Amino acid sequence: MSPTRPLILLPPSGKRQVTVMDFIYAQKLEEALDALRSQAGRAKVLAGGTDLMIQIARGEKQPQALIFIGQLKDDLATISLSQDGYLNIGALVTHRQICADRHIQANYPALATASASVGGWQTQSVGTLAGNICNASPAADTIPPLLVHEAVVTVQSAARGLRDVLLEHFITGRRQIAIENDEMVVGITLAPPPADTADAYLKVGRRKAMEVAIAGLAMRLTMAGPETVGELRVATCATGPVSRRASEVEALFSGQKLTNELVTQGASLLGRMIQPIDDTRASAEYRKLVIPKLFRGAVLECLAKLGIAISGLEKS
Amino acid sequence: MPEVIGRSVPRADGPGKVTGQTLYTADIEHKGMLHAAILRSPVPAGKIVRLNVDKARQMPGVKAVVTAADVPNVRAGWALFDTPMFARDEVLFEGEPIAAVAATTLAQSRAAVAAIELEIQEIPPVGDIDMALAAGARLIHPKLAQYGSVPGIVFNREGNVACKYAYEEPGVDEAFARADRIIEDTYDFGRQYQGYLEPKGTVVQYRDGRYTVQSGHQYVFNLRDRLAQFLQIKPSDVRVQGMAIGGGFGGKLDFGPEPYAAVLAKATGKPVKLIFSREEDLLAATVREGARVRVRSALDKDGNIIGREFFTDHDNGAYSGELILMAGLALMFCRGVYRTGPIRTQFRLIYTNTSPTGAYRGVSGVPMISAIECHMDHIARELGVDPRAYRLAHTLNNNEKLPNGQMLHDAAILMEAYAEIEKIAPWEEMKRTKKPLEGVAIGSTVWLTNPLPASATVKLNEDGSAHVLSGTCDIGTGAMAQGVVGIVAQTLGLDPANVHVVQPDTDVAAYDGGSQGSRTTRAVGRAAEHAAIEVRQKVLDAAAPLMQTEAARLTLSGGKIHDIEDPGKAIGLTDILMMGAFASGPIVGTGKHAEQPIPFDPGCAAGLAFPTLPTPTYHVHMAKVAVCPMTGNVEVKRYIVAQEVGKALNPQGISGQIQGGVAQGIGYALHEGLRVKDGRYMERSLEAYRLPLAVDIPEVEAIILEHPADEGPFGAKGTAEPPIVLAPAVIHNAIYDAIGVPLNSIPLTPENILEALERRKSA
Ligand SMILES: Cc1cc2nc3c(=O)[nH]c(=O)nc-3n(C[C@H](O)[C@H](O)[C@H](O)COP(=O)(O)OP(=O)(O)OC[C@H]3O[C@@H](n4cnc5c(N)ncnc54)[C@H](O)[C@@H]3O)c2cc1C
Repeated sequence: MSPTRPLILLPPSGKRQVTVMDFIYAQKLEEALDALRSQAGRAKVLAGGTDLMIQIARGEKQPQALIFIGQLKDDLATISLSQDGYLNIGALVTHRQICADRHIQANYPALATASASVGGWQTQSVGTLAGNICNASPAADTIPPLLVHEAVVTVQSAARGLRDVLLEHFITGRRQIAIENDEMVVGITLAPPPADTADAYLKVGRRKAMEVAIAGLAMRLTMAGPETVGELRVATCATGPVSRRASEVEALFSGQKLTNELVTQGASLLGRMIQPIDDTRASAEYRKLVIPKLFRGAVLECLAKLGIAISGLEKS
Repeated sequence: MPEVIGRSVPRADGPGKVTGQTLYTADIEHKGMLHAAILRSPVPAGKIVRLNVDKARQMPGVKAVVTAADVPNVRAGWALFDTPMFARDEVLFEGEPIAAVAATTLAQSRAAVAAIELEIQEIPPVGDIDMALAAGARLIHPKLAQYGSVPGIVFNREGNVACKYAYEEPGVDEAFARADRIIEDTYDFGRQYQGYLEPKGTVVQYRDGRYTVQSGHQYVFNLRDRLAQFLQIKPSDVRVQGMAIGGGFGGKLDFGPEPYAAVLAKATGKPVKLIFSREEDLLAATVREGARVRVRSALDKDGNIIGREFFTDHDNGAYSGELILMAGLALMFCRGVYRTGPIRTQFRLIYTNTSPTGAYRGVSGVPMISAIECHMDHIARELGVDPRAYRLAHTLNNNEKLPNGQMLHDAAILMEAYAEIEKIAPWEEMKRTKKPLEGVAIGSTVWLTNPLPASATVKLNEDGSAHVLSGTCDIGTGAMAQGVVGIVAQTLGLDPANVHVVQPDTDVAAYDGGSQGSRTTRAVGRAAEHAAIEVRQKVLDAAAPLMQTEAARLTLSGGKIHDIEDPGKAIGLTDILMMGAFASGPIVGTGKHAEQPIPFDPGCAAGLAFPTLPTPTYHVHMAKVAVCPMTGNVEVKRYIVAQEVGKALNPQGISGQIQGGVAQGIGYALHEGLRVKDGRYMERSLEAYRLPLAVDIPEVEAIILEHPADEGPFGAKGTAEPPIVLAPAVIHNAIYDAIGVPLNSIPLTPENILEALERRKSA
């Protein structure tokens, strides 16, 4: 059995109740899964806690138990490469680990950039990639790059074992994910990118760190010829309730010659597709203005990484 | 013994702060101590229809619940007495205290606050200065005329205007009538939160009929006086002990949690701790006021400014604090440091149903100087001349006067500052090497020093070390930890490690004007210097009989008393203190400092709280920025400051202040933003209110200019406040240079910048 202790938290200002919950230290993956099963929906998994503890302190979430998985580093804190080039990122891998990983830097630099922009050094040191996607904030930085790389999420339960879900299906809504009460995420897998592919993640914030994205955009561009697009994938965050790929925009590009007009067309279509809101961070209007610019910026960055120069492509 | 003055001696309080040993207010624990929480108004304006605390009083652990019914029915204030301790029948701002609870634990007091039954009939708030000034606007203080105020200062109040001051020199209308061209600008300035690390907090005990207050506070005597007003007791019945302070920047000059903890301490007979949460601190902080400045210049055909109008409106919030004393700044700064011809100036401080505003580094001068400096760039561009050259051609020289009649004897230091910057960043080269969407700007100003009096006592200990007692704290600038320590060490020939400053205590120290407005090193430093000179004389007097000579032949250095005429003859300081103390008694010196009156023009400045301010210092700042075409974000690529300091007692300390002040100025210009909508703050946490980070601020290049002031201490002038005042305008103007259009508001948001770029593209 995992050791359990009561955890007592102060009420937030203006709230009456003191929060008391069970704090379960899982020592093994099986213990965490058993605890999830026996708690039957009473519990939340706690990884780095950089989202969950704040939500509890604000009274937004009130789980009766927390299952702390931070001890399961041997099982879950590794990044491993399979023989056929698939990259598996364990559920406890932190953003710091991701930005420091050579393979990720070389093959999925957009993900490394996104992880390097999550909060600051402290949040990156304890915050996990799995936590970022499970929290499913519309502004989560790592979701757009994971979407353009078609990441697969592996979840596990004591009752049914392992199950794979495409990230696109895993995130079902604003702060909503397709996971059962007794399941937890154990890893995230990325397929090797094809040849002649580059990616980019561009984030808008008012500061250089500690910024929840005002807007973010990830792109993966695969070229089929010197000026011909094989496939362009694009996903944005903080531009609507859920981060999604913009398939209409992607369709415009596939197999097409990359021209300034096409980029302009794609950028403005993307700007029309997004449904941003006004919030304290920025106005919807600003987001509508900035996203097409990020789109063009991402195309240019991908081309620069591929060493391709296309004449007539305007900078802004 | 190496010289102490002029050397970068590390600060005495550094290691304790870095290692976490320093005790702050939050660290205080007393036996039986209770924890307090405040019920605040959830709405910006309304009538209190029902307030029932019975249920809260029955809650577990609750020892006392107090409301307006439990405190004297008075209004208090720094200068104008308009502020009740608790809202009585009506609330005037969101966050206004309505009740306070003390309980055994913080959780219990918060739970009890949530259990208080409060019903407020909301009234549409007078949410901003336009609404407050509109014809027929609801009066926020219908009884304004009846409020008491400190004697000797004139506050012209009417309607929603807490204080109006206006003055004009003859010939303004004529100048505008004959002008070749008239340039007019209106600038809007947002609020700025001090964002100190340590939210406000206090521990108060009530014993033997007196209150003992422990707080990290900038101005313990002001706090003492405010408590006395609220509680209707003698100031001497309050003892304020200053704790180490986790930053203040003007935000901790007036009362915060103290009166509430005091009432609860008396009600319960127990020590009461009240620490604001960050959200609460932000909501109730006396932040830098929002302001609107309209400036209009009449130019002749050669581009000389032959007349100037300067109207500056400042948002007071619901109650008055220090800002009401700042009217005179509109007179001192309306011209900037340039020749303008006759001026017409007006200052208004306007009530709104918003959280009260107050001092923040560069109090009220930041919007005024920003407006002048932005306007100067606009004029230059309108005339098609270089903004730097235009400034140089019109900058005041030695022995020219500010509009209040105060003589600037040494304004030519400005030229020296421009020249020093030119050496490391030649203007033409800066302009030539700009890439697209990069911009450069330069600006200049004068700044003055807070004039309040100071006192200090230096006691020499038997082991040859010294303690300095004063009524002010080290706010974090090092003014005490480096400045005053250095002054005393140098005067007594001691190692600075053997000079200790004592935290302020109103029972122990004589009156002091607090750690504000760059006054500490100068005013407390001078008082301490006088005290140390007295100590030195007493040492020499005590040594003379032991050395069988006359005191006039003796000097004190390196821990020894030397005979000037007989260099071999010396006696250790500790020997004197051991032996001499029997004969002469313990050695203590006291000193004080009060400003000498500065000549001014009584015709314009009479009745102002501060008709003049001492020790003008001169400042030139230059910035280079790059605007991102994708996002509208601004990166400050280079920032250079040339600042006159009198004498750099501790160069490293001054560089630190320049770096910090510029960081806050850049933060105000680019990152921070405390917007008010319908009387409420939109930014309500440090997640939304974005203080700049180290990665957002360049390393500031600081050029320190020294023209020692005759009146000392060691020639030092006020230094720490002014590095903030030019930064917002210089950043604004550099962006103006980069994108070709002025934005005329601060903060400069990426939204506004991107929108301006779009406009430019479509034009
Ligand atoms: C100051 C600060 C700044 C931040 N800045 C950013 C930012 O710039 N960009 C950004 O995207 N985010 C930001 N965040 C949010 C947060 O740091 C990230 O989302 C982080 O990746 C969350 O990881 P965690 O391990 O801390 O998650 P936790 O808080 O432990 O968990 C988050 C959620 O995921 C669930 N969960 C965690 N692990 C699993 C699992 N293995 N299986 C099932 N469910 C699981 C939890 O139950 C919880 O609901 C910031 C947070 C803070 C405090």
